[in-house]
Amino acid sequence: MKKSMVCMVFVVLLIFIGSAGFVAAETLKIGVVGPRTGTAAATGKSFTEGIKLATDYVNAHGGVLGKKMEVVFEDTAGSPDKAASGFERLVTRDNVVMVLGESHSSAALAEIEVANRLKIPFIVAEAWADPITAKNYKFVFRAGPSNSGVVNETIAKWVIHEGFKKAYIVAENTDWGLGIGKLCEKALNAAGIANKTVVTERKGQDHYTELAKIKAFNPDVILAFVYGTGLHYFVAQAGEVHLTPKAIILDGAGPPSLWPDFWNNVGDYGNLECLVSSMHKDVELTKLATLFRKNYEKEFGKAPTDYKSRSIFDVVLIAADAINRAGTTDANALVDALEKTSLTVTRGQVAFGTTKGGPEYHQWMPPMLVIQWQDKNQIVLYPPAGATGSLKHK
Amino acid sequence: MKNTKVILACIIVGLFGILPLGLNVYQQHVMIVCLFYVMMSASWNLLAGYTGQVSFAHAAFAGIGAYTSGILAVKAGLSPWLGIPLGVLFAAVIGFGVGLLCLKMGGIYLSLTTLGVSEIFHIIINNEYEITRGTMGLQVPGLLVEYSKTGYFYIMLVTAIVSLLVIYWMIHSNIGLNFRAVQNDEKAAASLGVDVIRIRVLAFTVSSALAGLAGGVYGHYLLLITPEIPSLDQQFLVLSMTIIGGMGSFIGPIIGAFTLEILSEYIRGYGEYHVLVFGLIALSMARFAPNGVVGLVQAGWAKRSTS
Amino acid sequence: MFLLALTNGLVIGIIYALAALGVSLVVGIMNVVNFAHGEFYILAGYFSYHFANTLGMNYLAAMMLSVGLVLIFGMIIEVLLIRKTYGDDLYSLILTFILSIVLQNTYLLVFGPYPNKPPNWVKGATNVFGQFYYGNQRLAACGAGLVVIAIVYLMLKKTWFGRMLRATSQDREVAELNGVNTTALNMLSFGLGCALAAAAGVILSPIFPVTPTGGMAVALTAFVVVVLGGMGSFWGCVVGGLIIGLVENFGAAFISSGYRHVFGFIILIFVLLVRPAGLFGNREI
Repeated sequence: MKKSMVCMVFVVLLIFIGSAGFVAAETLKIGVVGPRTGTAAATGKSFTEGIKLATDYVNAHGGVLGKKMEVVFEDTAGSPDKAASGFERLVTRDNVVMVLGESHSSAALAEIEVANRLKIPFIVAEAWADPITAKNYKFVFRAGPSNSGVVNETIAKWVIHEGFKKAYIVAENTDWGLGIGKLCEKALNAAGIANKTVVTERKGQDHYTELAKIKAFNPDVILAFVYGTGLHYFVAQAGEVHLTPKAIILDGAGPPSLWPDFWNNVGDYGNLECLVSSMHKDVELTKLATLFRKNYEKEFGKAPTDYKSRSIFDVVLIAADAINRAGTTDANALVDALEKTSLTVTRGQVAFGTTKGGPEYHQWMPPMLVIQWQDKNQIVLYPPAGATGSLKHK
Repeated sequence: MKNTKVILACIIVGLFGILPLGLNVYQQHVMIVCLFYVMMSASWNLLAGYTGQVSFAHAAFAGIGAYTSGILAVKAGLSPWLGIPLGVLFAAVIGFGVGLLCLKMGGIYLSLTTLGVSEIFHIIINNEYEITRGTMGLQVPGLLVEYSKTGYFYIMLVTAIVSLLVIYWMIHSNIGLNFRAVQNDEKAAASLGVDVIRIRVLAFTVSSALAGLAGGVYGHYLLLITPEIPSLDQQFLVLSMTIIGGMGSFIGPIIGAFTLEILSEYIRGYGEYHVLVFGLIALSMARFAPNGVVGLVQAGWAKRSTS
Repeated sequence: MFLLALTNGLVIGIIYALAALGVSLVVGIMNVVNFAHGEFYILAGYFSYHFANTLGMNYLAAMMLSVGLVLIFGMIIEVLLIRKTYGDDLYSLILTFILSIVLQNTYLLVFGPYPNKPPNWVKGATNVFGQFYYGNQRLAACGAGLVVIAIVYLMLKKTWFGRMLRATSQDREVAELNGVNTTALNMLSFGLGCALAAAAGVILSPIFPVTPTGGMAVALTAFVVVVLGGMGSFWGCVVGGLIIGLVENFGAAFISSGYRHVFGFIILIFVLLVRPAGLFGNREI
């Protein structure tokens, strides 16, 4: 009787050892990490779309090192531990030469430790926390927004530009929310704009209590750093308690205000909401941006909304370009090639910073826009050079 | 018979000892995770399978072990080699407390209380992010100066063997007999002179301490402690593994942990279905074969020997 | 702030009571704690969203149809899973716990990750006591919650079916001797428990859109309410729901909003220690 159990343990072990590890080597594999499940699974969907377009584009233009490029997309569920083990799985199981992606700062901060330990180049696409690049890890790059970049180049300047006098900062308790909230506080204080901060729970649903506190402060603008569904609840409830449209809400991340169900969830209260974005059909900086939109429409039968589909597209192109220039998959050579990147992607010309010491190291900051929903049309407010309209109040 | 068992156990342990030689880094990682789940399921089984206290706070105790050691390491610079034992101690103390708290409760009341304890713990971790870093995860130093998968494999293996020996010893001593007496009929057990209170609290304390140990070592292996360790999802995995393997048998949780963890690694390759497939298997096992794989094998064996 | 916390506490409390009523009913009659209660709530939310938004049905019809479908689904679950577990409350708890995880992941696959929100019944907000604005949809939901609770009350106390349910919950064997078909009754009451979760789901989802994993929080709150009120007690559920709603909102307003849900759990453990049977715990529905 006991023997049978022992046998079973052996069988399980044998199956495991026996069927492990034969990988066909016709393709060159690149890993992508991002949330495919969990509260921000919508990002995973945008990533999947962007990856599809980028893979087709790269393979139509000769592939990488003469081989077809294949992207393996590993789920992180938005949680740091799944992210770290997923990253490791990509490298040890799938033998990817480079890893890209991520949209959660907390997950990215766990992943860069693995990247550094395994010596695998990692290009972060949409995780904004400063420490990701400020840690100055050799193998970590970011071709996307950083908290300080977004705050100092876009959000704070926009708040000053519109002449807001009182601001309320709503930060979710994650690396992104807390980090960007602090930076905003600093920037607003420096500009002499009265402000207050409240920290909320990422999964919170009922914001009436916080909203009552905010309303008592009577702000002109609310800088909301809440990701996902939480933002929808917040916007809808702010409208219900008549906080908006007197005060303008800025979605400090962007995509949740672009998700398919945004209007359904917030109703009329979504009107006049502002959001940060890097994509708008009237502000296309390069030919590739237009090509991306057209390919997207052809492939998926709708216009691209969540800008993260285009961010990951860019990052895959940057990776393919670096691999081809390096002429090898050696990690150190790839880092050298990445540092010398000079490539035009949809959001402009990429070049990574090389000065050590701050978050600028291995960082390329794409231009960001502030957009306002005006009767369900996206109107670009900031920067003034790209503006397609001006801020509407009630 | 006794001797053959000892010999078999030695062979298995020996095989595990040389296992890293034949495995690549990824497979070693999977084995380490398997061993973590072996510890978790086996210690949960000690509580749920042998004394009938279905606790939903087992993952929370792993979290207590991990966070105690992790916070001490990050805030006070304490070596994990000292932090983990402290974490185990703390988990044991809290386990003792919860065990006392649940003394008068039976069945589902106990389950709901432990659920409440687990949720309170979870909310505290999320709110005190200045100490725990909340959902962002606490980055902690490792147990080894030079990171080595093989090294961690052996640490995990030794910890798992020690845990299993403790559990084996408990269920095969007088305490184990008393466990079962308590599970079957508390009043009858009490009338036979079994100190029901002591037995139940003892089971809770030991099982919590072992969970704390598993959590602590696992946390310092991952180098990252997040609220995922003490989450209900984790609790679900531990429960499924025990049930699929066979609740109330020594070997059941071990089989369950290996089978399900390896299976989930395979399914992962096909997309986001691993938890769903997991759940469906667990559900049908729990419904149609409540004694798990072990029960099925035993039934098959019994049939063959009678026919 | 005080009045807002009071209003919000009462409104949310009614909804909690409604969500907990289904759990209480099933515990009272069958001695089964349905861990997957929240997932039935979520399912109804998804159904009503898709009937109203995707198929363009009238929202009221969509809500009715959703509750009906969840009722049938609940009865199927009873036949497939729960029936075998009678007499072993831990077994059913474990089964429904696994079921809840299975359902969550199925929803993710079928309905996708986005939050889904059925249409509002009413728009705008009302100025309450001249102090603050309060969403009309919340007030309407509170009213609908009261109506459903009243219907359940009448059904339990005034109808032949209710008498049968109460008889079974008091003494199953005697009820059987008196010709009650307890197998069919179990199936119906489990379905009814799920339908009550569904009712809470369709009423609340216009305010808090449903997500695949949103059910767990609903179920946890419902358990707290049921234990506080006393397992299987109708009034216990209503009073328990209101207490938890008020405690959470006052706690959030005046102590800490992050610890909102801890207050409920602390009450749960305290009640279990001091009065394990709950406030109204003489097992009468």
